[in-house]
Amino acid sequence: MEEVEKREEGRNDGMLEGGVEVRVLVVDDSPVDRRMVEVLLKKSGAMFQVTSVDSAKRAMEVLGLSEDKTKSPVVDDQKVDIILTDYCMPEMTGYDLLKAVKEQSCQKPIPVIVMSSENEPQRINRCRAIGAEDFIIKPLQTNDVLRLRSYARTGLPPPPPLSSSKAGTKRKMTIELMAESGGGGSERRRPRLTGLAMA
Amino acid sequence: MELGSLQRRYIDFTTALFREGFLDNQYTQLQQLQDESNPEFVLEVVTLFFEDSEKLLDELSRTLDQQVVDYKKVDAHVHQLKGSSASIGAQRVKNVCMAFRNFCEERNQEGCLRCLQQVRQEYFLVKSKLETLFRLEKQILAAGGSVPVLW
Repeated sequence: MEEVEKREEGRNDGMLEGGVEVRVLVVDDSPVDRRMVEVLLKKSGAMFQVTSVDSAKRAMEVLGLSEDKTKSPVVDDQKVDIILTDYCMPEMTGYDLLKAVKEQSCQKPIPVIVMSSENEPQRINRCRAIGAEDFIIKPLQTNDVLRLRSYARTGLPPPPPLSSSKAGTKRKMTIELMAESGGGGSERRRPRLTGLAMA
Repeated sequence: MELGSLQRRYIDFTTALFREGFLDNQYTQLQQLQDESNPEFVLEVVTLFFEDSEKLLDELSRTLDQQVVDYKKVDAHVHQLKGSSASIGAQRVKNVCMAFRNFCEERNQEGCLRCLQQVRQEYFLVKSKLETLFRLEKQILAAGGSVPVLW
Protein backbone atom coordinates (compact mmCIF):
# COMPACT_ATOMS: atom_id res chain seq x y z
CA MET A 1 0.00 0.00 0.00
CA GLU A 2 1.63 3.19 -1.13
CA GLU A 3 0.64 6.55 0.16
CA VAL A 4 1.62 10.16 -0.20
CA GLU A 5 0.77 12.49 2.61
CA LYS A 6 1.12 16.20 2.31
CA ARG A 7 0.94 18.38 5.35
CA GLU A 8 1.34 22.11 5.52
CA GLU A 9 3.41 22.88 8.57
CA GLY A 10 4.78 26.04 10.04
CA ARG A 11 3.75 29.09 11.92
CA ASN A 12 3.57 32.76 11.13
CA ASP A 13 7.02 33.43 12.49
CA GLY A 14 8.29 31.94 9.25
CA MET A 15 7.61 35.45 7.94
CA LEU A 16 10.82 36.54 9.68
CA GLU A 17 12.78 34.46 7.23
CA GLY A 18 11.14 35.88 4.15
CA GLY A 19 8.27 33.41 4.26
CA VAL A 20 10.23 30.78 2.40
CA GLU A 21 8.89 27.33 3.01
CA VAL A 22 11.27 24.44 2.85
CA ARG A 23 9.75 21.50 0.99
CA VAL A 24 10.84 18.23 2.55
CA LEU A 25 10.27 14.82 1.06
CA VAL A 26 10.32 12.16 3.79
CA VAL A 27 10.90 8.60 2.60
CA ASP A 28 10.38 5.82 5.14
CA ASP A 29 8.61 2.48 5.05
CA SER A 30 7.76 2.67 8.76
CA PRO A 31 4.45 4.46 9.47
CA VAL A 32 5.60 5.14 13.05
CA ASP A 33 8.79 6.86 11.93
CA ARG A 34 7.06 8.82 9.17
CA ARG A 35 4.64 10.33 11.69
CA MET A 36 7.44 11.06 14.16
CA VAL A 37 9.48 12.91 11.57
CA GLU A 38 6.47 14.90 10.38
CA VAL A 39 5.75 16.18 13.87
CA LEU A 40 9.41 16.83 14.62
CA LEU A 41 9.63 18.95 11.49
CA LYS A 42 6.48 20.82 12.40
CA LYS A 43 7.65 21.52 15.95
CA SER A 44 11.13 22.62 14.99
CA GLY A 45 9.82 26.15 14.47
CA ALA A 46 10.90 26.39 10.87
CA MET A 47 8.51 26.53 7.93
CA PHE A 48 8.44 23.07 6.50
CA GLN A 49 6.08 21.71 3.91
CA VAL A 50 6.23 17.96 4.38
CA THR A 51 5.40 15.28 1.85
CA SER A 52 5.92 11.73 3.03
CA VAL A 53 6.01 8.51 1.04
CA ASP A 54 6.44 4.94 2.11
CA SER A 55 8.89 3.74 -0.55
CA ALA A 56 11.86 4.89 -2.60
CA LYS A 57 9.97 3.93 -5.73
CA ARG A 58 7.15 6.30 -4.80
CA ALA A 59 9.74 8.98 -4.01
CA MET A 60 11.14 8.62 -7.53
CA GLU A 61 7.66 9.18 -8.92
CA VAL A 62 7.12 12.28 -6.79
CA LEU A 63 10.49 13.65 -7.87
CA GLY A 64 9.72 12.96 -11.50
CA LEU A 65 12.75 10.74 -11.87
CA SER A 66 12.78 7.81 -14.21
CA GLU A 67 14.73 4.61 -13.71
CA ASP A 68 16.42 5.33 -17.04
CA LYS A 69 19.32 7.63 -16.16
CA THR A 70 19.84 8.84 -19.70
CA LYS A 71 16.55 10.69 -19.52
CA SER A 72 16.86 14.01 -17.70
CA PRO A 73 13.78 15.33 -15.94
CA VAL A 74 11.63 17.21 -18.45
CA VAL A 75 11.47 20.30 -16.32
CA ASP A 76 14.46 21.40 -14.27
CA ASP A 77 12.17 22.78 -11.62
CA GLN A 78 12.80 20.86 -8.44
CA LYS A 79 9.67 20.08 -6.53
CA VAL A 80 11.54 19.37 -3.33
CA ASP A 81 14.20 21.27 -1.36
CA ILE A 82 15.46 18.41 0.80
CA ILE A 83 15.05 14.65 0.82
CA LEU A 84 15.10 12.87 4.16
CA THR A 85 15.28 9.16 3.55
CA ASP A 86 15.52 5.99 5.59
CA TYR A 87 18.39 3.73 4.59
CA CYS A 88 16.85 0.28 5.07
CA MET A 89 13.80 -0.16 2.92
CA PRO A 90 12.57 -3.18 0.96
CA GLU A 91 13.05 -3.35 -2.82
CA MET A 92 14.72 0.01 -3.34
CA THR A 93 16.91 1.22 -0.48
CA GLY A 94 17.69 4.74 0.64
CA TYR A 95 21.14 4.26 -0.80
CA ASP A 96 19.65 3.47 -4.21
CA LEU A 97 17.47 6.56 -3.98
CA LEU A 98 20.40 8.72 -2.94
CA LYS A 99 22.39 7.44 -5.91
CA ALA A 100 19.53 8.12 -8.34
CA VAL A 101 19.05 11.67 -7.05
CA LYS A 102 22.75 12.53 -7.19
CA GLU A 103 23.09 11.12 -10.67
CA GLN A 104 20.55 13.57 -11.99
CA SER A 105 21.95 15.51 -14.87
CA CYS A 106 20.40 18.82 -13.84
CA GLN A 107 22.61 21.56 -12.42
CA LYS A 108 22.05 21.11 -8.73
CA PRO A 109 20.96 17.79 -7.25
CA ILE A 110 18.65 17.99 -4.27
CA PRO A 111 20.30 17.65 -0.83
CA VAL A 112 19.77 14.19 0.60
CA ILE A 113 19.98 13.30 4.27
CA VAL A 114 20.01 9.61 5.14
CA MET A 115 18.51 8.20 8.35
CA SER A 116 19.33 4.86 9.88
CA SER A 117 18.97 3.03 13.16
CA GLU A 118 22.41 1.50 12.64
CA ASN A 119 25.49 3.54 13.50
CA GLU A 120 27.76 1.84 11.01
CA PRO A 121 30.79 3.87 9.87
CA GLN A 122 31.00 1.85 6.64
CA ARG A 123 27.41 2.66 5.79
CA ILE A 124 27.89 6.33 6.64
CA ASN A 125 31.00 6.54 4.45
CA ARG A 126 29.25 4.83 1.55
CA CYS A 127 26.51 7.44 1.64
CA ARG A 128 28.84 10.40 1.97
CA ALA A 129 31.01 9.06 -0.83
CA ILE A 130 28.15 9.43 -3.29
CA GLY A 131 27.10 12.82 -2.03
CA ALA A 132 24.76 12.49 0.94
CA GLU A 133 24.76 15.80 2.82
CA ASP A 134 24.38 14.17 6.21
CA PHE A 135 23.58 10.95 8.02
CA ILE A 136 21.32 10.87 11.06
CA ILE A 137 20.90 8.05 13.57
CA LYS A 138 17.36 7.08 14.50
CA PRO A 139 15.32 7.72 16.52
CA LEU A 140 15.42 11.32 15.39
CA GLN A 141 15.60 14.12 17.93
CA THR A 142 14.66 17.78 17.71
CA ASN A 143 18.34 18.78 17.25
CA ASP A 144 18.55 16.62 14.16
CA VAL A 145 15.75 18.36 12.32
CA LEU A 146 16.98 21.81 13.28
CA ARG A 147 19.92 21.34 10.97
CA LEU A 148 17.80 20.44 7.96
CA ARG A 149 16.87 23.96 7.03
CA SER A 150 20.49 24.92 6.51
CA TYR A 151 20.89 22.25 3.84
CA ALA A 152 18.06 23.69 1.79
CA ARG A 153 19.39 27.23 1.74
CA THR A 154 21.69 28.44 -0.96
CA GLY A 155 24.62 30.60 -0.02
CA LEU A 156 25.13 29.06 3.39
CA PRO A 157 28.34 27.10 3.83
CA PRO A 158 27.69 23.40 4.44
CA PRO A 159 28.24 22.15 7.99
CA PRO A 160 31.52 20.31 8.57
CA PRO A 161 31.26 16.61 7.70
CA LEU A 162 30.66 14.05 10.39
CA SER A 163 33.77 12.20 11.46
CA SER A 164 33.08 8.56 10.68
CA SER A 165 35.55 7.40 13.31
CA LYS A 166 33.09 8.28 16.04
CA ALA A 167 31.91 4.74 16.45
CA GLY A 168 30.36 5.07 19.87
CA THR A 169 28.49 8.31 19.43
CA LYS A 170 24.87 8.09 18.60
CA ARG A 171 24.36 11.80 18.08
CA LYS A 172 25.89 13.91 15.40
CA MET A 173 27.86 16.88 16.67
CA THR A 174 25.48 19.79 17.01
CA ILE A 175 26.09 22.50 14.46
CA GLU A 176 25.51 25.42 16.79
CA LEU A 177 26.25 27.97 14.09
CA MET A 178 23.72 26.53 11.71
CA ALA A 179 21.09 26.21 14.38
CA GLU A 180 21.54 29.85 15.26
CA SER A 181 21.00 31.15 11.75
CA GLY A 182 18.56 28.45 10.76
CA GLY A 183 15.31 27.50 12.35
CA GLY A 184 14.38 28.42 15.87
CA GLY A 185 14.09 25.39 18.08
CA SER A 186 11.81 25.09 21.02
CA GLU A 187 14.67 26.24 23.24
CA ARG A 188 14.92 29.61 21.58
CA ARG A 189 11.82 31.69 21.15
CA ARG A 190 12.24 34.40 18.57
CA PRO A 191 10.54 37.73 19.29
CA ARG A 192 7.45 38.34 17.20
CA LEU A 193 8.72 41.42 15.39
CA THR A 194 6.12 41.34 12.66
CA GLY A 195 3.32 41.95 15.13
CA LEU A 196 0.74 40.14 13.11
CA ALA A 197 -2.71 41.12 14.19
CA MET A 198 -4.86 38.22 15.28
CA ALA A 199 -8.54 38.68 14.72
CA MET B 1 -12.14 7.54 41.99
CA GLU B 2 -11.15 10.89 43.42
CA LEU B 3 -8.88 13.08 41.29
CA GLY B 4 -5.97 13.20 43.73
CA SER B 5 -5.71 9.43 44.00
CA LEU B 6 -6.10 9.03 40.24
CA GLN B 7 -3.16 11.37 39.73
CA ARG B 8 -1.10 9.58 42.37
CA ARG B 9 -1.90 6.27 40.75
CA TYR B 10 -0.80 7.69 37.41
CA ILE B 11 2.51 8.90 38.84
CA ASP B 12 3.22 5.56 40.55
CA PHE B 13 2.30 3.57 37.48
CA THR B 14 4.38 5.67 35.10
CA THR B 15 7.41 5.69 37.41
CA ALA B 16 7.24 1.90 37.65
CA LEU B 17 7.06 1.52 33.87
CA PHE B 18 10.30 3.44 33.49
CA ARG B 19 11.96 1.77 36.45
CA GLU B 20 11.10 -1.70 35.17
CA GLY B 21 12.43 -0.87 31.74
CA PHE B 22 9.18 -1.16 29.81
CA LEU B 23 9.61 2.39 28.58
CA ASP B 24 12.68 4.53 28.08
CA ASN B 25 13.50 8.17 27.43
CA GLN B 26 12.23 7.98 23.88
CA TYR B 27 8.68 7.72 25.22
CA THR B 28 9.30 10.94 27.13
CA GLN B 29 10.36 12.53 23.83
CA LEU B 30 7.00 11.55 22.38
CA GLN B 31 5.18 13.14 25.30
CA GLN B 32 7.19 16.32 24.85
CA LEU B 33 6.15 16.53 21.21
CA GLN B 34 2.46 16.47 22.14
CA ASP B 35 0.81 19.88 22.46
CA GLU B 36 -2.37 21.81 21.63
CA SER B 37 -1.74 21.49 17.90
CA ASN B 38 -1.10 17.73 18.23
CA PRO B 39 -3.20 16.84 21.31
CA GLU B 40 -3.43 13.12 20.52
CA PHE B 41 0.07 12.66 19.18
CA VAL B 42 1.26 10.01 21.64
CA LEU B 43 -1.91 7.96 21.26
CA GLU B 44 -1.66 8.27 17.48
CA VAL B 45 1.92 7.11 17.21
CA VAL B 46 1.48 4.33 19.77
CA THR B 47 -1.58 3.10 17.87
CA LEU B 48 0.48 3.00 14.68
CA PHE B 49 3.05 1.00 16.61
CA PHE B 50 0.40 -1.49 17.80
CA GLU B 51 -0.93 -2.01 14.27
CA ASP B 52 2.51 -2.30 12.72
CA SER B 53 3.79 -4.67 15.40
CA GLU B 54 0.89 -7.08 15.26
CA LYS B 55 1.25 -7.29 11.52
CA LEU B 56 4.97 -7.98 11.90
CA LEU B 57 4.43 -10.62 14.60
CA ASP B 58 2.02 -12.46 12.30
CA GLU B 59 4.49 -12.27 9.44
CA LEU B 60 7.24 -13.56 11.68
CA SER B 61 5.16 -16.56 12.75
CA ARG B 62 4.39 -17.34 9.15
CA THR B 63 7.96 -16.98 7.96
CA LEU B 64 9.45 -19.06 10.77
CA ASP B 65 6.86 -21.75 10.17
CA GLN B 66 8.08 -22.52 6.66
CA GLN B 67 9.90 -25.75 5.77
CA VAL B 68 12.85 -23.72 4.60
CA VAL B 69 13.15 -20.55 6.64
CA ASP B 70 14.05 -17.36 4.79
CA TYR B 71 16.25 -15.77 7.44
CA LYS B 72 16.73 -12.61 5.41
CA LYS B 73 13.01 -12.06 5.52
CA VAL B 74 12.86 -12.81 9.24
CA ASP B 75 15.69 -10.37 9.86
CA ALA B 76 13.98 -7.67 7.81
CA HIS B 77 10.80 -7.98 9.89
CA VAL B 78 12.70 -8.00 13.18
CA HIS B 79 14.67 -4.98 12.04
CA GLN B 80 11.44 -3.11 11.41
CA LEU B 81 10.00 -4.15 14.77
CA LYS B 82 13.20 -3.08 16.47
CA GLY B 83 13.03 0.28 14.74
CA SER B 84 9.47 1.10 15.63
CA SER B 85 9.79 -0.09 19.22
CA ALA B 86 12.90 2.07 19.58
CA SER B 87 11.01 5.04 18.14
CA ILE B 88 8.30 4.92 20.77
CA GLY B 89 10.52 3.90 23.65
CA ALA B 90 9.32 0.29 24.09
CA GLN B 91 12.69 -0.71 25.48
CA ARG B 92 12.10 -4.34 26.38
CA VAL B 93 10.64 -5.13 22.98
CA LYS B 94 13.62 -3.44 21.34
CA ASN B 95 16.06 -5.46 23.45
CA VAL B 96 14.52 -8.80 22.52
CA CYS B 97 14.68 -7.74 18.86
CA MET B 98 18.41 -7.23 19.19
CA ALA B 99 18.91 -10.77 20.47
CA PHE B 100 16.49 -12.02 17.82
CA ARG B 101 18.64 -10.54 15.04
CA ASN B 102 21.68 -12.39 16.33
CA PHE B 103 19.83 -15.70 16.04
CA CYS B 104 18.80 -14.77 12.52
CA GLU B 105 22.39 -14.20 11.60
CA GLU B 106 23.29 -17.61 13.01
CA ARG B 107 20.32 -19.12 11.16
CA ASN B 108 19.32 -20.65 14.46
CA GLN B 109 15.68 -21.66 14.12
CA GLU B 110 15.22 -22.71 17.72
CA GLY B 111 16.74 -19.48 18.96
CA CYS B 112 14.52 -17.51 16.63
CA LEU B 113 11.38 -19.29 17.74
CA ARG B 114 12.27 -18.64 21.38
CA CYS B 115 12.81 -14.97 20.63
CA LEU B 116 9.55 -14.78 18.77
CA GLN B 117 7.76 -16.07 21.81
CA GLN B 118 9.62 -13.63 24.03
CA VAL B 119 9.07 -10.62 21.79
CA ARG B 120 5.40 -11.44 21.53
CA GLN B 121 5.20 -11.62 25.33
CA GLU B 122 7.00 -8.33 25.80
CA TYR B 123 4.89 -6.66 23.14
CA PHE B 124 1.57 -7.66 24.69
CA LEU B 125 2.84 -6.67 28.11
CA VAL B 126 3.84 -3.17 27.04
CA LYS B 127 0.64 -2.86 25.03
CA SER B 128 -1.45 -3.60 28.08
CA LYS B 129 0.62 -1.22 30.22
CA LEU B 130 0.23 1.59 27.71
CA GLU B 131 -3.49 0.99 27.44
CA THR B 132 -3.75 1.27 31.21
CA LEU B 133 -1.76 4.48 31.08
CA PHE B 134 -4.05 6.00 28.45
CA ARG B 135 -7.09 4.89 30.45
CA LEU B 136 -5.76 6.63 33.56
CA GLU B 137 -5.10 9.80 31.57
CA LYS B 138 -8.64 9.74 30.26
CA GLN B 139 -10.05 9.26 33.76
CA ILE B 140 -8.00 12.16 35.10
CA LEU B 141 -9.18 14.45 32.33
CA ALA B 142 -12.77 13.31 32.81
CA ALA B 143 -12.50 14.17 36.51
CA GLY B 144 -11.56 17.69 35.46
CA GLY B 145 -7.89 17.41 36.36
CA SER B 146 -4.67 17.59 34.39
CA VAL B 147 -2.29 14.76 33.70
CA PRO B 148 0.86 15.06 35.85
CA VAL B 149 3.95 15.94 33.85
CA LEU B 150 6.84 13.77 34.93
CA TRP B 151 9.62 15.47 32.99
